[in-house]
Amino acid sequence: MLAAVRSATVFGVEGRPVTVEVHVSTGLPAFQIVGLPDEACRESRDRVRAAVLCSELVWPSCRVTVNLAPSNQRKGGSGLDLAIAIGFLAAHGQVPVSQIEGLGFVGELGLDGSLRQVAGVAPMVAAMGDVRPVVPISNYREAWCVAGDGVRVARTLREVVDALNADAPWPQLPDGEFVDEEPPLPDLADVRGQAMARQGLEVAAAGGHHMLLVGPPGSGKTMLAQRIPGLLPLLEPDVSLQATMVHSAAGVRLPAGGMVQRAPFRAPHHSSSMVALVGGGSISLRPGEISLAHGGVLFLDELGEFAPSVLDGLRQPLEEGVIRLARARASAALPAKFLLVAATNPCPCGGGGPGDCQCDEAARLRYVRRLSGPLLDRFDLRVGVTRPAVEDLLASGGGEPTVGVAARVGAARQRALDRIGMVNANIPASHLDSLAPLHQAARELLRDQLERDQLTGRGYHRIRRVARTITDLQGGGELVLDEHVQMALSMRVRLSISSRERAA
Amino acid sequence: MSAEPLASNELPPEAYVASLAGFRNMNVHRLGALLRHHSPEEAWQVVLGRRPCSGLIAKVLVDSDVRKSWRRCAQERPPEAIWSQCLALGLQVLPYGHQRYPAGLLDDPFPPPVLFAKGNVGLLAGRRVGIVGTRNATAAGREVARSLGFGLGTAGVHVISGLARGIDGHAHRGVLAAEGEGRPIGIVASGHDVVYPREHRDLWEAAGNCGLLLSEAPPGVPPEPHRFPLRNRIVAALSEVIVVVESRERGGSLITASQAIERNVTVMAVPGSIGKRASAGTNALLCDGAAPVTGVDDVLTALSLQNTRSAVLPADLRARPRGEDIAVYRVLSAEPRTIEGVTLALGFSLVDAAMSLARLESAGWVAQADGWFECVGSPLR
Repeated sequence: MLAAVRSATVFGVEGRPVTVEVHVSTGLPAFQIVGLPDEACRESRDRVRAAVLCSELVWPSCRVTVNLAPSNQRKGGSGLDLAIAIGFLAAHGQVPVSQIEGLGFVGELGLDGSLRQVAGVAPMVAAMGDVRPVVPISNYREAWCVAGDGVRVARTLREVVDALNADAPWPQLPDGEFVDEEPPLPDLADVRGQAMARQGLEVAAAGGHHMLLVGPPGSGKTMLAQRIPGLLPLLEPDVSLQATMVHSAAGVRLPAGGMVQRAPFRAPHHSSSMVALVGGGSISLRPGEISLAHGGVLFLDELGEFAPSVLDGLRQPLEEGVIRLARARASAALPAKFLLVAATNPCPCGGGGPGDCQCDEAARLRYVRRLSGPLLDRFDLRVGVTRPAVEDLLASGGGEPTVGVAARVGAARQRALDRIGMVNANIPASHLDSLAPLHQAARELLRDQLERDQLTGRGYHRIRRVARTITDLQGGGELVLDEHVQMALSMRVRLSISSRERAA
Repeated sequence: MSAEPLASNELPPEAYVASLAGFRNMNVHRLGALLRHHSPEEAWQVVLGRRPCSGLIAKVLVDSDVRKSWRRCAQERPPEAIWSQCLALGLQVLPYGHQRYPAGLLDDPFPPPVLFAKGNVGLLAGRRVGIVGTRNATAAGREVARSLGFGLGTAGVHVISGLARGIDGHAHRGVLAAEGEGRPIGIVASGHDVVYPREHRDLWEAAGNCGLLLSEAPPGVPPEPHRFPLRNRIVAALSEVIVVVESRERGGSLITASQAIERNVTVMAVPGSIGKRASAGTNALLCDGAAPVTGVDDVLTALSLQNTRSAVLPADLRARPRGEDIAVYRVLSAEPRTIEGVTLALGFSLVDAAMSLARLESAGWVAQADGWFECVGSPLR
């Protein structure tokens, strides 16, 4: 009268194995779930009962007790429905207990007995360890990423029961719809003019340099940012797996190929809350936008409109590549290694050339102050974007397409990886002299900048890293030339208003 | 600094004026009317309703709100406290008619009933030019303001301005950098202890210490918006010539100019490119007959300090641009551009344009802000 079924829940981006123990005994008819279930989990009583009855199975009048072990951890979500139903059926003898050995069950039940997809199947399957997972058919791709061909799928509870009773074979794995066809990414060929910004995108993608686009409304900042994922190479296998786990845990649709292989692009609106951005929630710690951007691009449009506390939340992940969330009962580290691309107007009215701005000084100052400080300091590139010239808009041919630029980016990234095993943006300051030695003229140029107080010590290191990337993009000579340093300086526009900023 | 020593039990009459000037609902007309008909001590009794009064003040005092607020102000701002504040700040309190009250304001249509001065009031007997302009100045405009201030200061002319951001501040920076006899005279809208804008604290102190800082407001009065046009009338009244460096189609500096015209003060303007918003106001002044300013010589000529334009140009110490840099400079002298704008105009590559602009910037021919480059300083000849 007792059965134990293996299942899992998700916490952060990690699965946690859960053993569902079901005991059926005589006594007053009742159905109880213990082991710290949350609301969604407790409601599975009603779903399971209806699903069992609708699947033409028997629900006896007896006492049913379900324990979710380990019973001192909170369990959330509806992913345990299937395991509870199978556990009940096994304990009541409608399914042989021996048949559920070596299987793990994940999925939500509909009242009619159908199986519905749940978020976080990939980490759950990984957490269940050495079992063959049984998942709803719509979760097949995620489970397949982790368990390969050992996955069992089903559309309804009845199909699972029939297979367990050997009345019918397991349903076919869906291979027909498993096509690797993704919509094409936006192409750089659509961008007219914008030579400086294009150069900025190329450098940002090649060196992993965080970029701030500064320009008036309508100058194409968003359009430019959307084209960065196309320039980035496909994700490394381990990053790809992490990104897949994050997407699965957050319940974001995975690409047709199963794994997240292209660099993700996330553009949260500026009204987003801190929790939406960095992740959180009391029971499952759902990954936030910065984790969904892991391996790809986080684009913050209208940077100055984000709440300052939200932006401050980005500082730790920018530094460490992970976000550590702690709650009273548990803590989790979620991956969050992303390329930060932000866009802002130079002032509230949008600005334009010198003397065009209609804002008074106080308004401009307030606007720029919201941006300044430690976050602004993390941007290696501050590229000015202007409205494209009329001739550029009317010209027939577009600019250089993504393919060509991506090839240069890939080659430059490879040079950097061969050199020290990381992108140039992460070169430690102590290694700059050996990895990015300066040509004599370049040294003079930087000395001049430092002497005229146009550059601080920190800015100096950033310029050298960016210059290293530019050298790599242009063929990768050993020495960094003065023209590379100058381009790096040109991609760090000074925001006119604040004199403190001027020196940064 | 103040000449009036505080008697043991008795306050000087200026103390009452200083206190009255800071009342809410008090204005130039009311304070003027009060002091025309009453001595300061009597005026103090009048606003408290302890003495009969007539004319304008009687009408004003009919309003119970005014009566109430003046009673409250009298408690909040007792003459003793205000007076000791003035003494602590080293202020001279100059009511209308005081022997050191600026002569230029005595026959003004709206003379300030009282002025608070720090520094050398005697400077107002020297030659004085007002330099005013927009707070949203271009780099070129700021440079013009600074060089005019420098040239006038070198020639021994005092520079009057409002200590605002932009043109005003740079005119004073110019005169402070000069080694001549010219001094900065700042006319401000708030009390002497309320520095506004805060980033001009250095100019504020420099004007008080080595020039003159004047305000119509007693200590503690914040920079309320309505005080700025009033401040502008003092700038206009005290200047022999007003030079507007840059101004938009509407703005405080045009108010100063029209008040200068009402007072028969010469108005001059610095011409600018007709497409430039920052020069729209000055070009309009030129259309209306203001004299153009192309250099400090024009201003000195208007003051009759000089009757020719100097033939010898001041030596330009900047390294002359060479080669393609000249072409880049020419393009920029027509209008400000970004790096991309330069590449489009000249067909340069991004790197060449960036290198050339960097050379020009480091030599001091162009300046950059928000990614835009514009020419600064005297033009390349």
